Amino acid sequence: MDTMPDLGDRPRDDEIMAQHYAIRAEEAEKMSFIGDKEPLSSLAAEYESGNAIFKKKIEKLGETYGALRRTRGDGNCFFRAFMFSYLENLLETRNEAEAGRVKDSVDKCKQSLLDLGHSEFTFEDFLASFTDQLDGVQDGSLSADQLVENSRDQSISDSVVMFFRFITSGEIRKRADFFEPFIVGTSGLSVQQFCRSSVEPMGEESDHVHITALSDALGVLIRIVYLDSSNGDGGNNLDVNFHDFIPGQCVQEQPILKSKPSVVLLYRPGHYDILYEK
Amino acid sequence: MSSSSPKGLSRIAANRLHKELKEWQMNPPAGFKHKVSDNLQRWIVEVNGAPNTLYENETYYLQVDFPENYPMEAPQVIFTHNPPLHPHIYSNGHICLDILYDSWSPAMTVSSICISILSMLSSSTEKARPVDNDRYVRNCRNGKSPKETRWWFHDDKV
Repeated sequence: MDTMPDLGDRPRDDEIMAQHYAIRAEEAEKMSFIGDKEPLSSLAAEYESGNAIFKKKIEKLGETYGALRRTRGDGNCFFRAFMFSYLENLLETRNEAEAGRVKDSVDKCKQSLLDLGHSEFTFEDFLASFTDQLDGVQDGSLSADQLVENSRDQSISDSVVMFFRFITSGEIRKRADFFEPFIVGTSGLSVQQFCRSSVEPMGEESDHVHITALSDALGVLIRIVYLDSSNGDGGNNLDVNFHDFIPGQCVQEQPILKSKPSVVLLYRPGHYDILYEK
Repeated sequence: MSSSSPKGLSRIAANRLHKELKEWQMNPPAGFKHKVSDNLQRWIVEVNGAPNTLYENETYYLQVDFPENYPMEAPQVIFTHNPPLHPHIYSNGHICLDILYDSWSPAMTVSSICISILSMLSSSTEKARPVDNDRYVRNCRNGKSPKETRWWFHDDKV
């Protein structure tokens, strides 16, 4: 017998990991891609018997934000949250000019992808999934309920996520010199490798590189509010940190938009949800 | 489990494959031939070893099977008949290449897969089976798809 008696039937590490991923995937599938709007108190309830720093920070968060919408934790949450939050904002403000502006950005992204050597057929269906939503805003055919339904539809949601992955990768490769130090510094990968392994496949999580690139590609200001257990100056004055990804900040050719962020996301390590100001 | 008949292609998948087929006919990747049949869901692709490589003048066949929700999900790609002797290709035709599994992206195409496979062949410095070939092939005897394998990828160089 080659099994050590004291280990009994203990599973191997890779089996434990496989089980861990299977459970995570199963859990994730119970949650719709985009949840219902919930009061911020539901977030506080989650930490009721937990970390004191989190509790204080959520209290602080409540001064500015009143509600949140959860997203499925399947590695695509940043893109799904962005899709919903951006389009919902567009719908609520009836901002047809912005819908037109972002369509122009989409056209530029399309040209970049062609310049980078992608065949149009590889992304045109994904692109159309996004512009269909924009058309709906412009011609008034997209209702708030329909947007929720579309965002929960696997085919539509995955298509839009894939379009965002395409243009995020395109923006990074187009401005490889700018992104390279961030990518090499955090991942040790080349720009090409990073895009191939961490941007283009579905389910790969997003970090500040992805967010910067998508914000620049579409010209949309994204605010990320960070909820973590860091306690700043020792706990007396706990501030919730946020970072604004301002499009064009690093690109000369685009005018800097000085507007309120249309997309506000709550980041907890490994996950993005949607936040609503009071 | 894996022997159940494959589901037909979704409308999106069929639409995409028609476009890929058209693109392939106009602009096939160098070293590959695909005989167009009426089976859109399974392509048999002829691979010709590149000149000045270990596989020069050799011909192999890839079988590409598309899942219902291609391109969101990767196709299954295996060598049929006599798979090339290569440290990442098993004698049952399964290929250890990350883009076919974990690193698949809908941004890829049959054509880009073929180019990656040819590049993998061309950079090989020895004609040999993977060291774990016998164990792996034995485990696959019940007709297991390579997509059900949890791959531990070899280095990128070969």
